[in-house]
Amino acid sequence: MIITPKELYARISEFTVIDVRPEIQRSEFPMDGVDTIISKNGSIPNIEGLKVLVCQFGIVTEGMIIENELYDTYSLLGGAQAWIEFQSKKEDLSRWSRQTVLPEIGLDGQKKLMDGMVAIVGMGGLGCPAAQSLVTAGIGELVLIDGDDVELSNLHRQMLHGEDDIGKKKVVSAKESLSKINALTSIESIDVYLDEQYGLDLIQNCDVVIDATDNIETRQLIDRFSKESNIPMVYGGLYRWEGQVAVLNVNGSPGYRELFPEPPSGGDTCADAGVLGMLPNIIGNIQALEAVKLIIGIEPNLVGKLLMYDGMNHSTQIIKL
Amino acid sequence: MIKVTIKCFSQVKYAFGKDELNLELETGTSTLELENIIREKAKGKLDTVSLRIALNQKYIPIQTELKDGDEVAFIPPVQGG
Repeated sequence: MIITPKELYARISEFTVIDVRPEIQRSEFPMDGVDTIISKNGSIPNIEGLKVLVCQFGIVTEGMIIENELYDTYSLLGGAQAWIEFQSKKEDLSRWSRQTVLPEIGLDGQKKLMDGMVAIVGMGGLGCPAAQSLVTAGIGELVLIDGDDVELSNLHRQMLHGEDDIGKKKVVSAKESLSKINALTSIESIDVYLDEQYGLDLIQNCDVVIDATDNIETRQLIDRFSKESNIPMVYGGLYRWEGQVAVLNVNGSPGYRELFPEPPSGGDTCADAGVLGMLPNIIGNIQALEAVKLIIGIEPNLVGKLLMYDGMNHSTQIIKL
Repeated sequence: MIKVTIKCFSQVKYAFGKDELNLELETGTSTLELENIIREKAKGKLDTVSLRIALNQKYIPIQTELKDGDEVAFIPPVQGG
């Protein structure tokens, strides 16, 4: 069983807290605000009543509980790291403990994500997985922009929409699904197509804009707004079994215009060319991954590069722009 | 003569039914000339498709002389989302 720092704080008198960390971690990251018993050599003292085991990130103790079949014992989710954060800010970040344990992310990265704001233009094949991944990762704010309605032919690939959503605005249906995943993310649904007149206003306060559209004209418009406002654009495009991703307009790096100079022609839409359902979910997730890297400041990334993925033979190619 | 490998993506892949083509070209052939050869070989299937060219995994200006062993990718824009 697991318990979050917030739950432990509320029920602290019911538990004996056992710290299983080595001395070096205990002294570097002390658990203030709770009396702990120190476990010797990783052994669990035989104590009556409810117990909580604490390690640094909450992973070792979950393993100990399973291995020793300790069904009356809890593991502190996110470990001492999450407890210390909770004690200092009364903010419980333990639900993200599986990613804050990554040294490239940590609590600082998680906080950047939670302060981050992303606009997604298009709430179809690419927009649904990108939005879902960002919300599950704990992004602070999402702006969803799409004027389209959900249709039956969307459902094989657009996982935020279901049969009951047919006829609804895509941004409304997506927001309903996303809110169930993580109520902490603030989601703004804008049920219009991005246009010349208001487009820049819609994305202006965002850290990143994700291009999840299905037409080249809107891509060119996003590219222009992205350049003008110096907001990075994460481009994604699909063709049957293949997808493309590039991170554009980062401090003067190449944009969509450099990727495909005007006037591009011959790019079929999903309706014209067809697309396998899994493909947008792979590509949209790569777009979300690149957005997370931009917000936290993780390198290497796809700035100035075009990634091409082929789902038929699983080949990838990265072209320098 | 030089030998080059063509990596085919999206519409180019469907035009030839292959991921890759291996061609023998006159020494001194440029990327633009290769594009014309490719378009001709595609028998009209690429007539309305604009293509970007990458040479050895890097975007290049349209007129670059090819060398033996080069890898050339023709990249069409993809619209779907």
